[in-house]
Amino acid sequence: MRRIRKKHFLFATYDDFEKAKEVVGELNALDDKEDIIENIELYSPIEHPEVNDMLGEFHQPIQRFSFFGGITGTVLGFIFAAGVGQSMFTVQPQGGKSVITFPPDIVIAYEMTILLGVLSTIAGFLIYAGLPRRVKSYYDHTVGVDQIGIEVETDPKNNEKIRATLESCGAIEVRELTS
Amino acid sequence: MSDFKMKDIEWAKINEDVLASLESPRKAFWIVLAVCFALVLCGVAAEIYQYNMGLGVALMNNPHYWQTYISNFVFWIGMSHSGTLLSAILLLTHADWRKPIYRFAEAMTFFSIATAAIFPVIHIGRVWDMYWVLPYPNQHAIWPNFRSPLLWDAFAITTYATSSALFLYIGMIPDLAICRDKAKGWRKKLYTAMSLGWMGRATEWIAFQKTYVLMACFLVPLAVSVHSIVASDFAMSMMPGWHVTSFPPYFVAGALYSGCAAIITLFVLLRYLFKFEAYMTPEIMDKTARLTFAIAMAWNFLNLSEYASIWYSNDMFEHEMLIDKFTGPYAGIVWTMLFCATVVPFAMAWKKVRVNMWAMFVISLLIQLGMWLERFQIVSPPLASNHEPWTQVAVWPGLVQMTITAASFGWFTMLFLIFCKVFPSVSMYEVKEMVYHRNKHGKKKLQDLDKIKDDMIKTEEGLS
Repeated sequence: MRRIRKKHFLFATYDDFEKAKEVVGELNALDDKEDIIENIELYSPIEHPEVNDMLGEFHQPIQRFSFFGGITGTVLGFIFAAGVGQSMFTVQPQGGKSVITFPPDIVIAYEMTILLGVLSTIAGFLIYAGLPRRVKSYYDHTVGVDQIGIEVETDPKNNEKIRATLESCGAIEVRELTS
Repeated sequence: MSDFKMKDIEWAKINEDVLASLESPRKAFWIVLAVCFALVLCGVAAEIYQYNMGLGVALMNNPHYWQTYISNFVFWIGMSHSGTLLSAILLLTHADWRKPIYRFAEAMTFFSIATAAIFPVIHIGRVWDMYWVLPYPNQHAIWPNFRSPLLWDAFAITTYATSSALFLYIGMIPDLAICRDKAKGWRKKLYTAMSLGWMGRATEWIAFQKTYVLMACFLVPLAVSVHSIVASDFAMSMMPGWHVTSFPPYFVAGALYSGCAAIITLFVLLRYLFKFEAYMTPEIMDKTARLTFAIAMAWNFLNLSEYASIWYSNDMFEHEMLIDKFTGPYAGIVWTMLFCATVVPFAMAWKKVRVNMWAMFVISLLIQLGMWLERFQIVSPPLASNHEPWTQVAVWPGLVQMTITAASFGWFTMLFLIFCKVFPSVSMYEVKEMVYHRNKHGKKKLQDLDKIKDDMIKTEEGLS
């Protein structure tokens, strides 16, 4: 039977993005020096690009989903309209018009481009945001109100060093968590 | 200036105020809801009567097939435009004043489409055959004609309804998580399911912001295409009065115009019913009114250019149609429309009017009346001045049509108010962002001013 390794975290809350920015900087410096941090996660009521940048690069090419979704929509929309036109050739009076008519088929293709583009963008969002998921049992509701949470994954033996760093930057509260 | 006070609101207070709106609106909320519900019941009764007796009771006959129901359809589709389109445009242009009002504007879009979608069903009379407009496998030998703008409508409106609903929903996820954290009972279950486990992690925020902008990029051309296609329903026919090349941009401008007026009406209504005075400020109303005024001028320009192009076209049928509009049996409708949609918006040239909630409420209602009449005068008069003399009779909407029309307003408002009671109608996280950035930039401006002062003092000391 495979044993699931328990993860150990320190979770600190701050009342200011400046403090959160400072602590992320200090944690990064500590990790560069001693290599003791597995992961840092930021929880916040609004997005803050400056702090997010300090957490490292987030590779989320959602625009590729939009692009390929849109292209698929165009092709499918056109094939659909043209295909139906072709299938109706023998039963619907054409009045001398072409079977596959570009102007109306382009309208259908245009709408399908947008529909599939939007749907695939949302698929990309759900994949890269990791949603839907269960809310963590130790999730702190205050990060949805007015506080910024910093979650540091580390080995329990490094607790003291990290706690000291978190507290030195003015943490309101520091909690030890295991999942 | 309450707008500048907005930067002093604490984040916790924003949550508190918006969440309180879900629990305890003013008593007037229940009165408005009851009136809307009564209107809906009247509409249902009228539709049952029409269903049993046939479309004749709606005073529709050959060739007056397209009348009030189609006017309502175009009106409600138009109304849906401003919400999503303006929200998307203002998002892409980083206009932060949209933040307290975009949520309800987007909801307005969705419920307008839901209202518009009812009218083709009522209009065809044979409600049970509604699915014929959808392109489904042809076992029944029913052949959807892809060359018809009516089928394009089915595609465009389905795409618009789906995309707008998703745009509204995705934008609401962070707020649904806040609601989940505070709610109890059935609300807790609803918000837990809908918030998808959002926790405000950096990965979630980055993916969210990217997605929201990408969706806005899709929605702007979509919204323009939807009303252009609705305009094609008329413009692609050969009817004098309908066969107008400028109809698509004219319809898009008209849609934006009536939608902006609807935003103002709902702004005042929500502000009062849900006690949002601190968020829906006179300054935001001022900006919305300026935007409405600009769109009103664009619509008026297109309206006048339509008249001018008919006048100089040398087409005798179009000429006759135009003269008949201004002097014939429907002249009252046309002149009232011009008063409400062309003259009334000039009241918004004064700031005192623009920041007065109740004045703007009355103006917005008058503009909407004007825009409803505009749709009616597009649809009905051309049918009454057709090529054949026996068709040249003015037909007015009867009691059944008017009851169903009134019910549509009740239906829309009822759905909208229920939405605002269940979901946060002011975006909490976006207002927080606005407060945060205004504070930050405010402080930076003060620091810059102090620095300039210090530099000046040093320079003066150096000189002396």
